Amino acid sequence: MNTTPDPDQIPEAPIDVEDLRPHVYDGIQEYDKRLPNWWLFTLYGTIVFVVGYWAIMHTMGLASDPGAKVTEQIMAARAAAVKNSPEINDAKLWAMSKDPAVVATGKQIFDTMCASCHRPDLMGMIGPNLRDQQWVFGGAPMVAVKTITEGVLLKGMPAWGPILGQEKVSQAAAYIFSFHTEGEAVEIKPWVPVGVPGLPAPAVPASTAAPGAPPGTAQ
Amino acid sequence: MSTAASGTKTIIEFDDKVVRQFLVATMVWGIVGMLVGVIIATQLAVWQANFNTSFLTFGRLRPLHTNAVIFAFVGNMVFTGVYYSLQRLCKVRMASDFLSKLHFWGWQLIIVAAAITLPLGLTRGKEYAELIWPINIAVALIWVVFAVNFFWTIAKRNEPTLYVGIWFYIATVITVAMLYIVNHLSIPTSWTHSYPIFGGVQDALVQWWYGHNAVAFFLTTPILGIMYYFLPKAAGRPVYSYRLSIVHFWSLVFLYIWAGPHHLLNTALPVWLQSLGMLFSLMLWAPSWAGMLNGLLTLRGAWHKLRTDPVLKFFAAAVTFYGMATFEGPLMSIKSVNALSHYSDWTVGHVHSGALGWNGFMTAGMVYWLAPRLWNRKLHSTQLANMHFWLGLVGILLYVAAMWMSGITQGLMLSATRESGSILAYPNFLDAVTSTMFLHHIRAGGGLLYLAGFILCGYNLWKTAWGAETVNGTMEVFVAEKRHAMGLGRGFLNAPVLYSLALVAFSIGWAALPATWGGLCIVGILATVMGAVTHKEFSGTAWSDWYEELLANSLQFSLLTALAVATGGIVQIVPTVIMQKAGNMEGVRQIPYTPLELAGRDIYVREGCYNCHSQMIRTLVGDVLRYGDYSKLGESIYDHPYQWGSKRTGPDLARLGSKYPNVWHYNHMLDPRNVSIGSTMPNYPWLFRDKTGVEALVSKIAVQKKLGVPFRETTLSEIQESCAKQAGVIAADLKTAGVETPPDREIVALIAYLQKLGRSEPVKPAPSAPPVVQR
Repeated sequence: MNTTPDPDQIPEAPIDVEDLRPHVYDGIQEYDKRLPNWWLFTLYGTIVFVVGYWAIMHTMGLASDPGAKVTEQIMAARAAAVKNSPEINDAKLWAMSKDPAVVATGKQIFDTMCASCHRPDLMGMIGPNLRDQQWVFGGAPMVAVKTITEGVLLKGMPAWGPILGQEKVSQAAAYIFSFHTEGEAVEIKPWVPVGVPGLPAPAVPASTAAPGAPPGTAQ
Repeated sequence: MSTAASGTKTIIEFDDKVVRQFLVATMVWGIVGMLVGVIIATQLAVWQANFNTSFLTFGRLRPLHTNAVIFAFVGNMVFTGVYYSLQRLCKVRMASDFLSKLHFWGWQLIIVAAAITLPLGLTRGKEYAELIWPINIAVALIWVVFAVNFFWTIAKRNEPTLYVGIWFYIATVITVAMLYIVNHLSIPTSWTHSYPIFGGVQDALVQWWYGHNAVAFFLTTPILGIMYYFLPKAAGRPVYSYRLSIVHFWSLVFLYIWAGPHHLLNTALPVWLQSLGMLFSLMLWAPSWAGMLNGLLTLRGAWHKLRTDPVLKFFAAAVTFYGMATFEGPLMSIKSVNALSHYSDWTVGHVHSGALGWNGFMTAGMVYWLAPRLWNRKLHSTQLANMHFWLGLVGILLYVAAMWMSGITQGLMLSATRESGSILAYPNFLDAVTSTMFLHHIRAGGGLLYLAGFILCGYNLWKTAWGAETVNGTMEVFVAEKRHAMGLGRGFLNAPVLYSLALVAFSIGWAALPATWGGLCIVGILATVMGAVTHKEFSGTAWSDWYEELLANSLQFSLLTALAVATGGIVQIVPTVIMQKAGNMEGVRQIPYTPLELAGRDIYVREGCYNCHSQMIRTLVGDVLRYGDYSKLGESIYDHPYQWGSKRTGPDLARLGSKYPNVWHYNHMLDPRNVSIGSTMPNYPWLFRDKTGVEALVSKIAVQKKLGVPFRETTLSEIQESCAKQAGVIAADLKTAGVETPPDREIVALIAYLQKLGRSEPVKPAPSAPPVVQR
C-alpha cells in the first residue's frame, strides 16, 4: 500500500460554516469559536495567583526587605563557618607544607588567584617575592595566613578570606611555605612593586606585549 | 455592520513598489545584521577576533548587531508586511506615494547612519537605544511620516471595519512612538553626544519600560498583525476564533507594558516595582498563547500542506517558537528563577528563540509567499526554500540549546557556595567563562547555519526577481458614498469600556492605597465584576454590536488602544520620577565624579563596556559574596545614563574601585590576559594612544549640572587644572609601579573612573515623605 499519499490529492477539509463570521477581508474568513477551557483556566489561574501574591506579599506586608534578608543569610553562614572550621597554627601549617597533596591543591589556588600579582614562580611583581627570605610583615605561616585573609588594601591586595575561606587560605599558605624551611633566618623589608616585565612603553603597540612574556630583569 | 449605501465601483492599483523595496531591504539588512551577529558570537569564543581595533571590538559591534536586527531587519520586514496587507485589508492604495517613498528612503538612511556611528563609538549607552540624538530625531520624524501615511490610509479605506491584523498595527504605531520618545529624552552636549535626562534608577526603569516593549511592540505586535494576514492567506483556512482575537489583542497590549521591571529583578529597584514586573509577566502567558492558538489552530485542515509548502513550514515553526519563547519569558520573570538566569547566557538564548525562531521564520515565510506575487513569477526553487528551513531550524536549536546549557552553568557556578554558604565555590569568575567556552563555539556555529539559510533565501529571491516583470496588485472595490460614524464619546462612554476602566482603577487602588481605602477598592472590584456580568446577561448582543461599531471607527479604536498602553507606564514610572531623589537613596549617596572621572566614564560608555559588565550587585548571596554589599539606589543617583547592565560576560564592576592598584588596570586594559588568565576580553591599545577630550568636558559638565549633578568645576581652566592634577597623581603612581604613560591619555581617565566605582557617602534618611505605594 502507498503510505504517503500525494499531498495535492488530499481533499481539503470542508470549512465549517456554522461558526463562520459573515464578513470576509481580502479573502480571509474568520471563525468565532469559543475559547478553549484549558486556555481560560491558564488565564484565570495566573490572575488568581497574581492577586494572591500581591495580597500576601504587599497588602499584608509579608515581603521581607531583600537587602536585610541577604545580609542576614550571609551573617548566619559566616557564623556557622567559623563554628565548623578547625583551629590552625604555625605547627599545623608547617606540617601541611610538607604534605604533597595539600601543596598540590595550594599550588592550584595560588596559580589562579595569586600568580597574577606574585607571579607563577612566586618571584614577585606587583606583590612581593614570596620565595626569598625577605618578608613585609614576618616569616611565620600564621602571619601569612593573616595577610592573605585580611589583605593589604592600601597596596591593592584584596582580602582573600571572604573569597577563599579558611581551608583554601591555609592550603595556599602551605604551598608558599613549601618553598621555605622552619627556622630559616628572615628579614623584614617593604616591597617595591615592579611593573609587568616585558611590557612595552605606552607608545608601542600592544601586539608586542605577548601574554606571558618571559620574566625580565626588573628584580 | 454598515448598511448598504449607494456608491460606485472602481478598480484600484496598490502601491506594491514600496513593498518590493522594503522586501529587498529586509533581506539585505537581515543578512548584514546576522553576519555581525556571527562575528560577535565568534569574538566571545575567540577573543583575537576583536583584532585589537576599536571599531571591531565586541562592545561597539554588539549594539550594531542588535540595532541592525531589530530596526533594520525586522523593521523593514514589518513595513513590508504592513504596506502589503494594509492596502488590501483597507481596499485602498496607500494614502500618499510621497510619504511611502520618504518613509522608505528615510529609514534606510537612518540605518546607514547607525552603521557608521555605532562602530565609531558614538552611542547613548542604553541598550537598543544607542543611536545618537540627531539620529533619534530622524527616527521620530520618519515614524511620524509612517504614522500619518498609515492613519490617512485607514481613514480613506473602502472597507467598513478594521481587521484584527490592523488592530495590532495600530497598537504598534502608537506605542513605539510613545516609548521611543520618552526613552530618548536627552540634552545634547555636542552634535554627536548627549546625556539622558533620567539618571540612576529612573533611567533604569524608563530604559526597561522601553527595552521590554521594544520586544513587545516592535518585535511582537506588528508580527502578530502580519501573522493574522499572511498565515490564513497561505493556509487558505479561516482564522480560528474572532473572539479569541479580541481577548488576545486587548489583554496583550494592556498587560505587556507593565512587564518591563522583570529586567531589574533582585536589583536596587523598589520591591513593589519588581513584583509588578514579575506578576504582569506571568499574566502575559495566556494572552501570548492566545496568539499562538489563533495561529496554529488556523492551520487545522491544512497541516498536510506543510509537507510541500515551505511558507507554511516557516509559519508553523515560527508560531511554535513564539509559544515557546512566551512561556519561557514568564518563567524567567519569576524572581527566584531570574536569580539564576539573569545576567547569564540563558537570556541571550531566550531572546534568540524569539528573534531567530519567531521574527526570522515569520520573515522567511512572508518573503517566500510574497516574492512570486510581487514579481509575477514562480519561486525560483522550492527545494532551496526547504533547505533554508532545515538549516535555519538546526541553527536555532544548536544556538538555543548551547545558550541554555551555558546560561544555567554560569548561573549555578557563579552562585554556588561552600563552607556553610559563607564562601563561593568558584571565587574566580573566569571559571564560569572557561567552563562554557565550548558552548560559545557551538552557538557561533548555530548562528552561522542560520545565516547560511538566509543567504540561500536571498539567492532564491534574487533568482526569482531578477529580470522578472514587477506586478502591482489591483482590486475592484466598492466605494461607498457615506459611512456611518459613531460619536467620539460613544467610543468611551460604553458599558464594556467603563467596566474595564473601573476594574483597572479599583485594582490599582487596592494595590496602592492604605488598608481602609484598599478595602473599599475590593468592594469596588467585586461590585464592578458582578455589575458587568449581570449587565452583559441582560444586554444581549449589545456589547458585541458596540465592538463591531468600534471596528468601523478607527479614531475611537486608536484612542482606546493608546489608553490601554499608557496605563502601565504611568503607574510605574511617574511615582519613581516625581519621588524626591532624597527618598530614593537608601542611606547612601554617590560621590559625584571629578571631571577626569566623568571623561573616563564617557570612555567606558563609548566602548560599550555595559554590554559585558554590570554595575549592580543584586540582593543575592552569590552576588554579595562575590562583589561586596548589595547596591543601593543612592549609589547610581548621578549616573546619566545608568550603567546597571543586563549581562555578565565579565564580572560586575559596581564596587571595582580600589580593588586593584592602578597598574593592574593599566596592564589589564593593554591585554587582559596579562592579569586574568583565560579572559576573553578584547585588548584596548587605542586607549594608550589617544588623548582624553578635556575640552568637551565644558559642555558635558554644564549639561550634568543642569541635570542636578553637583560639579564644582565649570570653566575650561578649572576643568583642565582638575584633570591635570588627578591624572598626574595616577601617572606618578603608575611610574612607581614601573610603567610610564603620559597623563593626558585616555587610559588614565578610564583608570580614574574605574577606581571611583562604588564610592559613596552615608546620608541621613530623608524626612519621611508619605510612601507613594506601600512596599
